[in-house]
Amino acid sequence: MQDNRARLKTLLIVAAVFAAWLGVGLVVTNSYYRLVLTLVPIWAVLAISWNLLSGYSGLVSFGHAAFFGLGAFTLGLSIKFLDLTPWFGIPLATLVGAVAGAAIGYPSFRLRGTYFALSMLAYPLAFIAVFEWMGLQELAIPMKRDAPLWYAQFPDFRAYLVMALALLAVATVISLRVEGSRFGLSLLAIKQNELAAEAAGIDTFRWKMRAMVLSAALAATAGALYTMVVLVITPASVFGVVVSAQAMVLTLFGGAGTFWGPLIGSAILVPLSEFLNAELGHILPGIQGMVYGIAIIFVVLLAPEGIYWRLRDVLARRAGRRAAEAPIAAAAEPAPAQVADVLRPPIGPVILDVRGVSKTYGGLKAVQQVSFDVREGEIVGIIGPNGAGKTTLFNLLNGVVMPDEGTVTFADTAITGWKPSAICRAGIGRTFQVARAFTRLTVLQNVATGAFVAHADDAQAWAAARTMLDVVGLAGRADVLAGALTSRELRLLELARALAGKPRLLLLDEPLAGLGSTETQEMIALIRSLPARGVTVVIIEHTMHAMVSTVDRFVVLDHGALLTSGSPTEVTRDPRVIEAYLGRKWAGINAAA
Amino acid sequence: MLVEQILQTLVAGLSVGCIYGLLCVGLALIFGIMRVINFAQGDLMMLGMYLALFIATFVLPSTIFGLAAPFVAALVAGPLLFVAGYLLNKLLISRTTGLSVSGLSEGDAHQAQLILTLGVALVLQNGAHILLGSNPVSIVSPLSSTAWEIPLLYDDFSAVFLNKARTINAVICIALSAGLFWFIRNSRLGKSLRAAAVNPEAALYMGIDVARAHHIAFGLGTAIAGIAGGLLVIYYPVQPHVGVDFVIIMYAGVVLGGIGSTSGAFWGGMTIGLVQQMSTLVMPIQLQNTAIFIVFILVLLVRPQGLFGRVAERA
Amino acid sequence: MLQLEALDVHYGGLQALSGISVSVETGSFIAVVGPNGAGKTTLFKAISGTVTPSAGRVMFEGQDLAALKAHERPHLGIAHVPEGRKVFSDMTVLENLEMGATCDAGRARWKDNLELIFAMFPRLAERREQLAGTLSGGEQQMVAIGRGLAASPKLLMLDEPSTGLSPGMTDVIFDSIARIHKQHGLTVLLVEQRVAEALEHCDRAYVLEAGKVSLSGSFQELSSDDRVRRAYLGM
Repeated sequence: MQDNRARLKTLLIVAAVFAAWLGVGLVVTNSYYRLVLTLVPIWAVLAISWNLLSGYSGLVSFGHAAFFGLGAFTLGLSIKFLDLTPWFGIPLATLVGAVAGAAIGYPSFRLRGTYFALSMLAYPLAFIAVFEWMGLQELAIPMKRDAPLWYAQFPDFRAYLVMALALLAVATVISLRVEGSRFGLSLLAIKQNELAAEAAGIDTFRWKMRAMVLSAALAATAGALYTMVVLVITPASVFGVVVSAQAMVLTLFGGAGTFWGPLIGSAILVPLSEFLNAELGHILPGIQGMVYGIAIIFVVLLAPEGIYWRLRDVLARRAGRRAAEAPIAAAAEPAPAQVADVLRPPIGPVILDVRGVSKTYGGLKAVQQVSFDVREGEIVGIIGPNGAGKTTLFNLLNGVVMPDEGTVTFADTAITGWKPSAICRAGIGRTFQVARAFTRLTVLQNVATGAFVAHADDAQAWAAARTMLDVVGLAGRADVLAGALTSRELRLLELARALAGKPRLLLLDEPLAGLGSTETQEMIALIRSLPARGVTVVIIEHTMHAMVSTVDRFVVLDHGALLTSGSPTEVTRDPRVIEAYLGRKWAGINAAA
Repeated sequence: MLVEQILQTLVAGLSVGCIYGLLCVGLALIFGIMRVINFAQGDLMMLGMYLALFIATFVLPSTIFGLAAPFVAALVAGPLLFVAGYLLNKLLISRTTGLSVSGLSEGDAHQAQLILTLGVALVLQNGAHILLGSNPVSIVSPLSSTAWEIPLLYDDFSAVFLNKARTINAVICIALSAGLFWFIRNSRLGKSLRAAAVNPEAALYMGIDVARAHHIAFGLGTAIAGIAGGLLVIYYPVQPHVGVDFVIIMYAGVVLGGIGSTSGAFWGGMTIGLVQQMSTLVMPIQLQNTAIFIVFILVLLVRPQGLFGRVAERA
Repeated sequence: MLQLEALDVHYGGLQALSGISVSVETGSFIAVVGPNGAGKTTLFKAISGTVTPSAGRVMFEGQDLAALKAHERPHLGIAHVPEGRKVFSDMTVLENLEMGATCDAGRARWKDNLELIFAMFPRLAERREQLAGTLSGGEQQMVAIGRGLAASPKLLMLDEPSTGLSPGMTDVIFDSIARIHKQHGLTVLLVEQRVAEALEHCDRAYVLEAGKVSLSGSFQELSSDDRVRRAYLGM
């Protein structure tokens, strides 16, 4: 409910800005200012397109000019040589952009981080050279005086402003739909940690490709419109580094990864630089670029994540102070029922069967010949001293790492060699040692990223997310930003997110780290209630303390090999375990005593 | 005739390759050691070009330095740019890199650093535009229009021409690169820089001032870019936006050479120079930069650890 | 020599250490033991300055270290051998040791220290030109300790030197630490998970549990105390 109201409010604000812009544009008579007023929406569309890919997914594109330029030239060439009307030319440019996005994205997404960014830098520069070589140093749109409307050549320049605003409206609606949706949340998950996203069942490659195609199509459309407005283009003016830089700068200035960022950036920076250029350009050529440069430097130093996030933080802090004064009602969550143990279903057949898995890094045998099984409804703890290979074993189980040898069978299906996202969808969920909540999203949105994997229908996913918040006792905090949570709440959030993916088997990586003793008890009760919900649990912990009262069975690793397994009482009395934890000599002393 | 043409192109490739090699070494110090993606590297080079031009024209009396003036000017520009780079990192860039940014997630800090160097690049480019205008200028030296003629032995008519200015440049570039390798490998300061790069935390426990090591690396990288620019301006005209063309060449060379390896970067730059020149034998000359981009993207896709480097420790 | 007074450390929202008070006298061998995740490494980082305490003081030879940056502290004579060894992998063994001798005291006694290190770890002498990243785990630990000794420190801090080492190699490392302490009278502060090995040679030990000191005493006192076992195994 609240979500819809917030969205409506956003739409109203945006509509008001659009109306005001249009109003000013219709009144202004100075032709230069009219051009600027028309260009602002076009650059805003380019910035939105950059934000859709790079802002949300964190894969920084240095080369969005490639798509912008392709769109621009597609339109120009289609009018000049094919005599095609822009009414077809614009969709054609969109299509060319989408195809180029797919063609460039497919190989480039094999690269990560810096390498991806650098590879994107090369494409537009290569296009400049190719287009110049083809003899297209300058492309002017021919005048079509016989059928101006058919060729979208309006006598009144304000028509272009309307067109630019219409395109911006389309881009805005797309952007608004992406924000907070399955699409947007998946991309944010990739930005946060691609590996964790993959482990949470998100097919990262597919989402990145979708973002790239959508983004490239939008950028190309903006390019096409740009050509119609300025009439003359050169390879450098549409493929140049400045174009790519502009897409980045406008977004990062306003705030990346939010719908508002590109709009704020465009509305402030484009008019400012154009105004200075108009007033001072003749005495200070380059003042425009100077303004961009200085603006960037100040933003990075004062609000490194962009204006939007800085403002939001300030407002949130103020709201937080107000809330702190009010009595907190949500704090007293009912502790998960202690009766869970009574309701526990009987232990079922083997659900996870690990046979002889090994993994060697360089010369280090991280995991060697480990075999064990887990039965449905069990709670199993994997323990061992530092460097025993616990985390590597987890990574082998959920596909983050491929075993050198051995097999992993889950519910009678061999899953060795599967991608993490596929294993997750098969029913193995996982939490991570360091809680990786999206601090900029609400608690509910965080949990929804997990729920989308298991629910094809969005409404069902949101409902499942709410249910899981109920389960872990965070329902009262659903609309709070995750960044404001305590460490206990973050742990619960992490658990809720994993549970929202409807796993049959849940791998918990140190779920008790950093918790106080009462919080630990609460978490243990929660974990022990999971089998009753049809979830089998495997936990890694190196502190055995809390574990002895949590698990049914221990699997003990030392130096990458299976040391022993058994009930907590058996294991803690086992001299080999004592030796592994307290040292060989300690075992000797106690045996002697 | 064909042999002569190939040899002549090879010579051109080698001489350009030496300059590119030095440029790449400068970037490798910044990108390889500090993992800072410095967009402004090309513009720092542009600064070196103008500075050398200014020094050669107005400061050095040609009566004393004669034909050597342009080369001396390039070398003098180096220390000035070292100071500029040191301060640039200390006052601006370091605020967005590793050590001082703890509140931001890694991705956000990365973006902040990226955009900051982009801002610096824009300020340098447009500042130069405002102050110096946009007309391309270069140092006028008789050496850049004369050549040594090396006769080819198999017949009496063929010869390869070595442009004097370019050849002297190549020698200076090789000497500087070699000196820099020696410094990084063998000097105490050079080793500290490497230690700070490999493992900043452990370097702190040794008592190495890691922040200062980064300032020095940035300063050195800037100085090298400036000197290379100063040498280049003897035959390649400078204008405020010249850096853009070279940034991609530098990154291509560094990636080709294997990120983190300064010697690899030199050979990477050399390879780029050769590819650029040799491609003109089989492709239209306008597409010579396209050849570089193709090689660059292929290397990224096929062998991101570079052609000359060891396996990159973090991808 | 080293005095920790009611130290608190917070990581994000987590309290990693609370109210830690530890004292290390000149010439003593002090151990801090405890299960993983108890905050041992954080304690060392607070001493070295790579983690800032939220309350309490770190005093070294009567001087409050709060005003000193991390890279200035080694120059006072504090050598920190970090967990996981953290050798400079692209550099040779000799270059690694040379980096250890960055501070003045280490440079002045470089030749003598090098002899001492090579005498203690002959394997390092054999492999002095080899890249440290290509050494085995035990050899890397020798490099890390050697790097600490090359600084001619007053206080040698060792963080989990046994991590990932075979039992035989663990013995070699602990024996050499004991020798350094006995023969050269070096003050040693050791953090270790393996209690027995750590306690064997130390004068006094602190047991760290969930960010707090839960027990302290001599080897005899602690080795007969079943609470130590329970701190590790829970029951």
